[in-house]
Amino acid sequence: MDGGAVTASFRLPRGLAALAGVGGVATIAIAVAAAFIAASGVDPWHAFSVMAAHALGSADGLLEVLVRAIPFTIAGLGIVVAFRVNAFNIGADGQIIVGAIAAVWLATALPDLAGWLLAPLFLIAGFVAGGLFGGFAGWLRARYNASEIITTIMLNYVAIQLLGHLVRGPLQEAMRIMPQSERVPDSVVFDILIDGSRVHAGLILAVLLTALFWGLKRLTAFGYSLHAVGSNPAAARYGGIDDRRVLTLAMALSGAMAGLAGAVEIAGLHHRLQENFAPGFGITAIAVGLLARLNPLLVPAMAVLFGVLHVGSGAMQREAAVPLPIVWVIEGVVILAFLVYGRLRPGSASTAAG
Amino acid sequence: MWDLVFWTGLLGGALRLATPILFAAIGETLAQRSGVLNVGIEGTMLVGAFLGFYGAVESGSPWIGLLAAMAGGALFGLLHAVFCVSLRVDQIVAGIALVVLGLGLSGFAYRLTLGAADRPPDAPTFDRLDLGMLGRLDFVGPALFGHHALVYTGIGAALALCWFLYRTAPGLEIRAIGESPAAADAVGVHVARTRYACTIFGGVMAGIGGAYLSIGQVGGFVENMVSGRGFIAIACVVFGRWNPLGAMLAALFFGLVDAAQIRLQVLNPDIPYQFFVMLPYVLAVGFLILFAGRARMPAALGIPFFGGRRR
Repeated sequence: MDGGAVTASFRLPRGLAALAGVGGVATIAIAVAAAFIAASGVDPWHAFSVMAAHALGSADGLLEVLVRAIPFTIAGLGIVVAFRVNAFNIGADGQIIVGAIAAVWLATALPDLAGWLLAPLFLIAGFVAGGLFGGFAGWLRARYNASEIITTIMLNYVAIQLLGHLVRGPLQEAMRIMPQSERVPDSVVFDILIDGSRVHAGLILAVLLTALFWGLKRLTAFGYSLHAVGSNPAAARYGGIDDRRVLTLAMALSGAMAGLAGAVEIAGLHHRLQENFAPGFGITAIAVGLLARLNPLLVPAMAVLFGVLHVGSGAMQREAAVPLPIVWVIEGVVILAFLVYGRLRPGSASTAAG
Repeated sequence: MWDLVFWTGLLGGALRLATPILFAAIGETLAQRSGVLNVGIEGTMLVGAFLGFYGAVESGSPWIGLLAAMAGGALFGLLHAVFCVSLRVDQIVAGIALVVLGLGLSGFAYRLTLGAADRPPDAPTFDRLDLGMLGRLDFVGPALFGHHALVYTGIGAALALCWFLYRTAPGLEIRAIGESPAAADAVGVHVARTRYACTIFGGVMAGIGGAYLSIGQVGGFVENMVSGRGFIAIACVVFGRWNPLGAMLAALFFGLVDAAQIRLQVLNPDIPYQFFVMLPYVLAVGFLILFAGRARMPAALGIPFFGGRRR
């Protein structure tokens, strides 16, 4: 199922145009959110002021937004890579889970390993496991024409069930009370960057990865082949690029980033494996990647924006009784508004016909 | 354990569990035959599941719930058509947005309404269809004839849709649009209008599937209760080779797998139940490997049409 040329309408992501677009999309999202909040019998102004006060109005709130933005950035970078070649990886949720599972499993299996070795291996395990999970779906698409949209979603449910089993079975804590793993060794736990907050060293990793992905896109042959395959697979093939291989690799890298995000969430935040530790982060990563217009440099900014949404929505639920699923309503609207914005720009109509 | 009662239950369960997927799959088949790919079926089913439950509880009749679900499904189908047919955005991304939107709207509305109570009310369910003599037959009676009317409606709808698609003039037009909208347009077929109709029809069917899940099967609403069935329905379109009867057979197969995995859980307490729950998802991937490569999808599937006499 080729999706037509999605990347064609994502070109020219330059400064002001991008900012104006985000502003327009945000306005529509806020208007729709206000309508739903009003429908639930809450004054939207009150709800938004609660949101702003908690997510933006205090240092604690802002720091919490950064905490949320870390996995959104890392997984969002992965989304960018896959969507660039029209591989619709909607399985980041599952890849986050298998990444976390692999990392915790490794730490459990090698308790005597030196800390300086275990810490990087912990992250690498998450990266590799997510990469295998995503790469498998990519390979199925490249080799068997199996829609990655369906396979990645199916694999999500496999990952969820696997996690449910592991935290009640092989990886459950020794006390066997809660459905969760033992705490991971201190050597793999990230340092807290700012005292009194939950901001952990994953933030530095997210920034470094953003720079790395920008370089990957702009400076490497792989980045060029992503662009070529995304623009026109047939032409890329004619030009000597193995488009199936690029597709598989892009999905693998996409899954690997999600897996890494899973390991980072454990190392930085939860310190043990639990069910539902990253609820819907994969969906959010898609919204982040799209709104960043598949440009790695814009991913952290959009991740912060969605961090505000998530932190603020939590506060709205606690203090204004606005149900938390408003997050998904807003993210759905954001994606739709973004699509319309992409359509309205000149030049996109002719290329989108594919 | 492996006696007649077991097989009766398995077959009956398969029919019931297949029904939500069946409705969604044949609706999606029609939409895709007209060239519109809607991967937002999952979200549409969630909206149908909530509206079905809500409408049934508030009105006291499951049929009113069903109507509400159909209306919600139609609205989601219309939304997808506006974005894909009129605005001509990327159909896959629009579908993903519908999944997220449906997840949010159903969860949001549920928590505001019935979910706000300490214990959610029970939904009035569909009556079982009394087929007289047939229902009292040994084995086949309880297995095949003891179900809600919707189960048979689904199978009937698949047969009717097959006849419509291959034996009527509008059916031919739909197939032509899915293969070559420009050619269809040239001979006077209204491409946009037909695609709207097919996409809305697909939404209505997904809404019915969701409503059957909540009021016919579970008897309540749980957030994200569709659990990937919308995507399995899309896979069934591929397995069924874009033929409503094929999609129906594929849906029945997944119903059988689901019914079997529930029984396997009970029969194998030593094996963690999660591995049985995985079974339909793993099989969907496996069957995609087997079928997708050889499948020939409608040539214009997922591609917006820019021509047309109305522009």
